[in-house]
Amino acid sequence: MKGPEPRYSAWALLRARLAGTGYWRPLWSGRRLREAYDVVVVGAGGHGLATAYHLARDHHIRRMAVLEKRLVGYGNVGRNTTIVRSNYLLPENHYFYEDSLRRWERLSHDLNYNVMYSPRGIVDLALSDGEMVGLARRGNAMRLAAIDAQLLDRRGVLKFAPELAASGPRRFDIVGGLLQRRGGTVRHDAVAWAYARAATALGVDIIEDCEVTGVRAEGGIATGVETRRGYVKADRIVFAVAGHTGAIGEMLGVHLPIETHLLQAMVTEPVKPLVSSVFVYVYPHGECYVTQSDRGGVLMGGFMDGFPSYTQEGQWFRLEDVVQSAVALLPQLASLRILRHWAGVQDMTMDGSFIIDRIRYDNVFVNGGWCYGGFKTIPASGAACATLVATGTAPDLIRAHGLARFATGHLLDERGGGPFPVRL
Amino acid sequence: MTRLTCPFCGPRDLQEFEFRKTLPEPDSNAYAQVYERANRLEDSLEHWQHVHGCRAWLLIRRNPSTGQVLKLELMGGGGP
Amino acid sequence: MSPAKVRVGSRLASAPVRFSFDGRQYTGQRGDTAASALLAHGVRFLGRSLKYRRPRGLLTAGPEEPNVLLTVGSRPTVIPNVPAPLLVLTDGLEFRSQNRWPSLHCDVASLLQVGGGFFGAGFYYKTFMWPSWRSYETIVRNLAGLGEAPGVSTLPPPAIEHLSCDVLVGGAGPAGLAAALAAARAGARVVVCEREPECGGELEFEGGTIDGRPGGQWVAAVAEELGRRGARVLTDTAIVGGSGGLLIAHAEPGGLAGRNKIYQIRPRHFVIAMGAVERPIAFVDNDRPGVMLLGAAERYLARYGAAAGNNLVLFGNHDRLYAAAGRFVAAGLRVRAIVDSRTEAAVADGGTAANDLRAKLQRGGIECLLGYAVLATEGRAAVHGARVAPLASPHDERRIACDAILVSGGWSPAIHAGLHEGGKRRYADCSAAFIAAGQPEWRTGAGASNGALDLAAVVADGFAAGERAARAVGTAGSAGPAPIAYGDGPPRLAPFWSSPASTDQEKRQFVDFQNDVTVADLRQALAEGFIDIEHIKRYTTLGVGTEQGRTSGVLGAAIVAELKRETLLAVGTSRTRPPYHPVTLAALAGHRSGQQIRVTRRTPLHEWQEGHGGVLEPAEYWMRTRYYRANGANAFAAGVAEAARVRAVGGILDGSTLGKIEVAGQDAAAYLDRMYLNRASTIKVGRSKYMVNLREDGMVLDDGIVLRLADDRYFATTSSGHAGHMLAHFEHYADTEWGGRDVALTDVTEAWAVIVVAGPASRDTLRDVLGSAWHADLGRLTHMDFATGRWHGRELRVLRAGFSGELAFELHCRPAIAVPLWQALVDGGLEPYGLEALDILRVEKGYLVGAELNGQTTPHDLGMDGLVELGNPCIGRPLLDRPAFHEASRPRLVGLRTVDGKATILGGAQITTVAVPNRSVGHITSAVYSPALREWIGLALVARSLAAEGTQLVARDPLRGGDTAVRVSPLVHFDPSGERMKS
Repeated sequence: MKGPEPRYSAWALLRARLAGTGYWRPLWSGRRLREAYDVVVVGAGGHGLATAYHLARDHHIRRMAVLEKRLVGYGNVGRNTTIVRSNYLLPENHYFYEDSLRRWERLSHDLNYNVMYSPRGIVDLALSDGEMVGLARRGNAMRLAAIDAQLLDRRGVLKFAPELAASGPRRFDIVGGLLQRRGGTVRHDAVAWAYARAATALGVDIIEDCEVTGVRAEGGIATGVETRRGYVKADRIVFAVAGHTGAIGEMLGVHLPIETHLLQAMVTEPVKPLVSSVFVYVYPHGECYVTQSDRGGVLMGGFMDGFPSYTQEGQWFRLEDVVQSAVALLPQLASLRILRHWAGVQDMTMDGSFIIDRIRYDNVFVNGGWCYGGFKTIPASGAACATLVATGTAPDLIRAHGLARFATGHLLDERGGGPFPVRL
Repeated sequence: MTRLTCPFCGPRDLQEFEFRKTLPEPDSNAYAQVYERANRLEDSLEHWQHVHGCRAWLLIRRNPSTGQVLKLELMGGGGP
Repeated sequence: MSPAKVRVGSRLASAPVRFSFDGRQYTGQRGDTAASALLAHGVRFLGRSLKYRRPRGLLTAGPEEPNVLLTVGSRPTVIPNVPAPLLVLTDGLEFRSQNRWPSLHCDVASLLQVGGGFFGAGFYYKTFMWPSWRSYETIVRNLAGLGEAPGVSTLPPPAIEHLSCDVLVGGAGPAGLAAALAAARAGARVVVCEREPECGGELEFEGGTIDGRPGGQWVAAVAEELGRRGARVLTDTAIVGGSGGLLIAHAEPGGLAGRNKIYQIRPRHFVIAMGAVERPIAFVDNDRPGVMLLGAAERYLARYGAAAGNNLVLFGNHDRLYAAAGRFVAAGLRVRAIVDSRTEAAVADGGTAANDLRAKLQRGGIECLLGYAVLATEGRAAVHGARVAPLASPHDERRIACDAILVSGGWSPAIHAGLHEGGKRRYADCSAAFIAAGQPEWRTGAGASNGALDLAAVVADGFAAGERAARAVGTAGSAGPAPIAYGDGPPRLAPFWSSPASTDQEKRQFVDFQNDVTVADLRQALAEGFIDIEHIKRYTTLGVGTEQGRTSGVLGAAIVAELKRETLLAVGTSRTRPPYHPVTLAALAGHRSGQQIRVTRRTPLHEWQEGHGGVLEPAEYWMRTRYYRANGANAFAAGVAEAARVRAVGGILDGSTLGKIEVAGQDAAAYLDRMYLNRASTIKVGRSKYMVNLREDGMVLDDGIVLRLADDRYFATTSSGHAGHMLAHFEHYADTEWGGRDVALTDVTEAWAVIVVAGPASRDTLRDVLGSAWHADLGRLTHMDFATGRWHGRELRVLRAGFSGELAFELHCRPAIAVPLWQALVDGGLEPYGLEALDILRVEKGYLVGAELNGQTTPHDLGMDGLVELGNPCIGRPLLDRPAFHEASRPRLVGLRTVDGKATILGGAQITTVAVPNRSVGHITSAVYSPALREWIGLALVARSLAAEGTQLVARDPLRGGDTAVRVSPLVHFDPSGERMKS
């Protein structure tokens, strides 16, 4: 490398313009795989990269590699609907998600990379007074934890988001909503790149195209990982491969409380601003969330496909379901065209909350089970997971998120869905 | 994944069926029955119901990495 | 040089069509598209690019058009981003250009062009951070976004047709028609979908013959034969996607005509013959209006008689240039030069026909420059000239005056439809592009989408694919001999992607026109370490626009390969995603939108309630009456009044939405014992019991009353809206763990209407209404007994229960007598009440209202310890022993009252101790104003350690009002001894 990667600013852009080519440096590529590391993180998605970054920055671990099967940010960090929020009911969850949201608020500055945190608000819509009670329960729990939340009646919702008034009476009309103003969106790919760049600057080796195929252990302690590029020694190993956590469990001989499902998302052609915020619209056997990207495409997602799959290819009927939901909410979307639809592979846990814990060996850790809510937690997950790996003790924010909770009954079941990820 | 062939109704669109759960290992305890899943990338044993059809419960072995159905049989109850 | 303004022998009818573009009136011909009509008027400058706002004109003649997207109609019903080549003119049609303000020719934001390069790849990631992105975002969002957002959509839902066939052929170009012909001749049932309004594809302009006939005649003959053999040929119909053996096609004649249709097609075999997309070449200012793809210019000329220009320069890397030039000349246009990037040596070998043609053109005075490239264009908002130079010495530039540069860098097979369910890309050397390989056994590629380039090969490949498809589905017939085709000949393409340029000039060599991605951007991405094509796509936005990489994908990848000094094969292209063709949300939503998004279930008493002032609201799919208008100004007032009247006199409630499942068989009793926490086997015939289901993890799933109709027959009720789920749950166990037992399950929800008759006057009113035949039963029934009989000749069950705390009965009757029975009860003096009152009555009595069954509560939490202690080994029971469920922090269902007896409490308030105000120890599940007690009362889930009666707590409701001092009260607020119910 020709020297450190320059700091980003308008000034740097100007200098780069004057310098012609050769000013910018590779963000992360070009590192060589070494024989041994203090920590090997498996998976260069959001969680793996953030974990490595925090291990390096907060715990000063220098001999560290992130091994990636394919490419930096190739998995769910680049396939989600970019929503960030902390409007969770259970304290074990909302304190953690709030920690993450606070990190999002300053992440561009912390990483010197514009991840485009856009606090445009998120509104969970209620369609009956009974649902308003449920939202009030959640919003009040947030307020006790000093997290911003507002309960809007119908008029309040339409004032906040006038585009929702464009419909005549809906089959399931809006009674009110729970608004979190600090919720919003973040440019998803930028998050992976920003962490990869920051971790590289701290000396982490990010090795792409390096699939991990096994863990070697001696006397009950893991000693390293087998990879497509050979054996790599490691004192500690972290798996952050959400979407394939169940398979990692099998590799380690553990049947995890996880099922793997597809979640579809889609985007329309770009148009001028139409959707002002993030809307979550759930009605009997239907669901969608809708937002609009900075480029102008309307992003939509909804239910899971409904059966285990690793194919990343969604079912057409589910695409139609999501579109029907979105048009029911915002009928003016009907004139727009879908440009792309895709599917992400989700770890669905048996209580709907994530898992960060040791797995099988004392020095092997798993960060996964993010269900369909992993993107928004990346900053907090990285920090907390790094603390667990570095100190051996789970910080308070994730103490409840161990694997043992299923056997003891300390479940973190936000929705009350129980051990069935798919319940339409 | 293509259509599923119901033993009673023949090949039918996927949306007529509902997946219920992937099965745990045989002979597992009550906890494992409810919580543990065998997450094999190419071999998943599952319960499905032809819920918008004859309502039969099906035992399906699938490859979740390709969607290919490896085996499909009727569950014990004798169907509709 | 003035731009072309010609019609040269249009095939269109001459009927004039008036339209308006950017407020100016024009006249086109019937059948014209916006693109062809404006081209014929010599209007070149038709749009601006997204980022730099550069002037743009038509590049293509198809849906992949990146430059000229139009906004059609006027506010609020605008339709944005319509590709000009797809917009068929109708009289009076109004549309306008996009990405400009205030007008196309005077655009303020185009000043951004001055900073070109500054705004290159990754620009946004490196700045706009202080103080926050939010401060810039509004401006950025308004600049981005292409067309105007619709305020209202008036697109009608599509008609929907289901087709099933042996062979579906996507595309009716020469390959698709040949495939369809072969399959149909072999006896297969064939459906063909063609995106264009006419069949034939490039035969529309390509020379040559098939089976001795000119292309157009062959197309007509094939169409006729296909019709005769029962095949369906659907034009204006694009296959957009599909899964699970289902393919979806969308027919949209005229682009926006509105009479659109969705075909759901279930073929046994699918032949992809969707052709190939021509790609541009990167040279400086290659985005200037007047630069058009060669095939697009041929199509505009052949179909619409609209010329891309009068003085043409053709630029490309294959032999098709010469055949095309011949056709332009024949149409009376002037070809100034043919710039061919291949060297003299490369074209000398073989290709006799093309070489002869070149010699002939040269003799006719057309300059043929071999080993040359167009380096740059000249002009402002339209091309005035091309700067060309030999590739061997690129500094020897010279200028050729022209008004159009027609470019062809080769063709990228349209393989979208072949890349899922197992399909993979494979590099095809001959076209320097990718084809779809690894196809599942039910799918075949054919023709240009399969990499064939020459008409002879395309037709042969298509015919063979059709034959194979027919064989694969088991047809016995023979397809006979394949048609023999002669076309322009093999193009002998030699890859050429970008003309020589300095690194500074690379900022004006466009690869993705819509998103303003240039060669410089690709170079910069590589420098920053974005070396994989997927990363490059995401970082530079290459191919993420409305054309989804159709023109830019392979070109961008090839330039990346050159910059990396790798092969295109090694670089690959980024992943494509469905749909194969952009499709409106209106078409996808179909009829399931608006009120039709879900079925509306109505009880037999729906009309009566609606006609008598009932305010009905959705409850799952059902509509239920919340209150009656006559009883109060709003739900609250009416609910209180109705509840008070039930306690004072009585009332009736429509309970028909209760889920009802009949369970029959020798093993029904034993089976139900497994399904419920308490035992069904101990219910005596003619009695009923309140029963509770657990989920597998021990949480309470549902509750209801189970009636034993006979030794081997039960009638189980579920919560409203839960019947479907509970039936599936019951069936699952009947077919799996309990398989082989004699149990039959039937959902009888709609078979019985339910009228709840509650209150002190209920029995007397029932005596009058039901008549003397029922007097004995009504006198005999004690709590939870039921009697069966008839009323007005129809079945009726009377169950003494009612969950109001009053003397009450549930009448289960056949729907046919629901209304007369209800009316008789009203005439007998009982007035109806709604759900608002029902909730009040239930909270007063400490009955579960609904929010307590939230999937998070165990039977212990809900005070059902007695039921658990029965020790019935039902589903969910084993996991109740987990330690967490017995900790002091687990919730307990309690009653709640305010300390002052006056304050308001609401469901959803959190509960804390007085000492620790920010740690929740529970929440209010339901709260009502009790007319009987004249104060607000509630049900709450509170930590067991704090659940003792009298404990003072605080209900915290910062969202709606603040804090209220509360105390734990007995769960049953009203008539705790149950005197009224037993009376």
